[in-house]
Amino acid sequence: MKSTGFEEIEHPSDIRIKFNGKTMEELFENAGLGMFSMITDLSRVKAVKKIKISLSIESSSPEDLLVIWLEKLLYYFEVEDMILSRFNIKKITFDNNGARLSAEISGEKTGDNKHNIINMIKAPTYHLLSIRENKKKHLWEGKIIFDV
Amino acid sequence: MDKYMITKLSDYKWKVERDTSIGMNVPGIIYSDKKLLEHTIKEGAIDQIANVAALPGIIKASFAMPDIHFGYGFPIGGVAAFDPEADGIISPGGVGFDISCGVRAMRSSLEIDDIKNRIEDMMSFISFSIPRGLGGKGKIDLSKKDMDRLLSGGAGWAADRGYGHKEEIEYMEEGGHMEGADPAYISETARKRGARQLGTLGSGNHFLEIQVVDKIYDRAASDIFGIYENQIIVMIHSGSRGLGHQVCSDYIKVMQKASEKYGIKVPDRQLACAPIYSPEGKRYYGAMACAANYGMANRQCLAHWVSGAMERYFKTSSERLGLSTIYDISHNIARLEEHDIDGIPKKVCVHRKGATRAYGPGRPELPPAYRHIGQPVIIPGDMGTYSYILLGTETAMKESFGSVCHGAGRMMSRSKAKKMISGSELKKNLKTEKGIIVIADSMSGLAEEAPEAYKDINSIVEISCMAGLSKKVVRLRPMGVIKG
Repeated sequence: MKSTGFEEIEHPSDIRIKFNGKTMEELFENAGLGMFSMITDLSRVKAVKKIKISLSIESSSPEDLLVIWLEKLLYYFEVEDMILSRFNIKKITFDNNGARLSAEISGEKTGDNKHNIINMIKAPTYHLLSIRENKKKHLWEGKIIFDV
Repeated sequence: MDKYMITKLSDYKWKVERDTSIGMNVPGIIYSDKKLLEHTIKEGAIDQIANVAALPGIIKASFAMPDIHFGYGFPIGGVAAFDPEADGIISPGGVGFDISCGVRAMRSSLEIDDIKNRIEDMMSFISFSIPRGLGGKGKIDLSKKDMDRLLSGGAGWAADRGYGHKEEIEYMEEGGHMEGADPAYISETARKRGARQLGTLGSGNHFLEIQVVDKIYDRAASDIFGIYENQIIVMIHSGSRGLGHQVCSDYIKVMQKASEKYGIKVPDRQLACAPIYSPEGKRYYGAMACAANYGMANRQCLAHWVSGAMERYFKTSSERLGLSTIYDISHNIARLEEHDIDGIPKKVCVHRKGATRAYGPGRPELPPAYRHIGQPVIIPGDMGTYSYILLGTETAMKESFGSVCHGAGRMMSRSKAKKMISGSELKKNLKTEKGIIVIADSMSGLAEEAPEAYKDINSIVEISCMAGLSKKVVRLRPMGVIKG
């Protein structure tokens, strides 16, 4: 895997990425970074607007939380016109009551063809979605497919 | 491929034998030739056909159209019908994220000589009127009340608001609006995603094309459809945009819980489902119908924008330009339809994911003008290739719940296409070699949609017709393409 913490994998019709992190928080950050890197070139994006996010779900499955997290990020892109380039997850917790995530994300507004959009992602999917702990490498590793 | 026993039924029809050890309730039926079948097997799509065959209440077979390829849950190019009275299910994975992604074909009184020397100028002019592209916003801002009415009324709502003509609605599947839509089942997130996107083309393989009638195969049918040689046709390929995508995302989650509740084990989370008449099933149907209405209204608005642009370009009315809808189809949908099951008419839930309805002659759902010959089936080619208008057949009604292919499936991954093909070179070559003008904002998006990335549409159509599921009426050649 590249030093960015994510990498695109071949998929016959859509976009698939693998991503990793030393912690669950870093894993989720890299998933967000990976998704937005498929949308546009983030090197030109300035992290000028900060947004705080809190998510909470009934399920305590990391995969379920990941999908909700990425859907929320897509919402900011599509509805709030934001290209997000920085993802700082404060905390992720899992227990019998479900899962919770708090984060601060930042980026800039789209508009006036400022950003060259490479792929319009419709949604993260559950298909072949996986989050696993690689104990040998002390890393969390994930894979996800985005419908485009 | 020892896992499955595949029997040849004909040169264009193959059976994946029912294997109860892996839970198959019915066999798989694949409409394909040998070469495409080998590709399908290699890609792993047979697993998906078999997984669908294992779903509760499935009738007859898990069908695969010639353009089948690997999808999420259901394969793309998959057709499956479920009996509500036998615990038959409904599944968002059997419809897809882009609910009512579909195609409208419009006739005109223009002929090739009217535009061939000014196609680039004309396409550029039209493109300014078509909101498109990645994250593109539309020209219509919907209030909550508007949104509710649109979700219930579909294309009829759009026509009442002055987007296009009411007479056109008759030439859409279901008269431009799907029964059973209930806006209460649409989430706030879906509404927000859809609020500014009505009347936008979208991205990926969506397009607006100006085409010319290149070849007529069935003159009797083309006469009834009002199509003739050298005529200019407008084709719009678009769907329900962010609203539909969100409905799918929302209801996959609902169905995952429902699958557990009803004890339905699914090998793939995207096959999550519920019995059709369960509360969850009814809610999804109501929401899906709303998204379908959005998709049909979307194409109605796009047709209105392109008509307006052509009026301004030619400085005459759309009536004088003869612009009117031949037909409008959805190729990602699930519907309760009446079909003959062992000689008895029965209401079943037909899922078509990347497959098109192809009703044969006599169906009451068809407009009176077409009823005696059958439904026009609009098959969009990928960029730079032919599109087709086919006719639905009796064979399709008997064999595949009145279903046929939807286009050419992908052969090459997006990342490979971007590495191998230059979007700007492709655009240049399409112009110099085929005289096709392409208007696109994203060159990498264009590369992903290169013809080499897709199966050969001509083979797909040929197999569909040789298998008896449809008949060719006309072939259409693109002259100008506006890409989303």
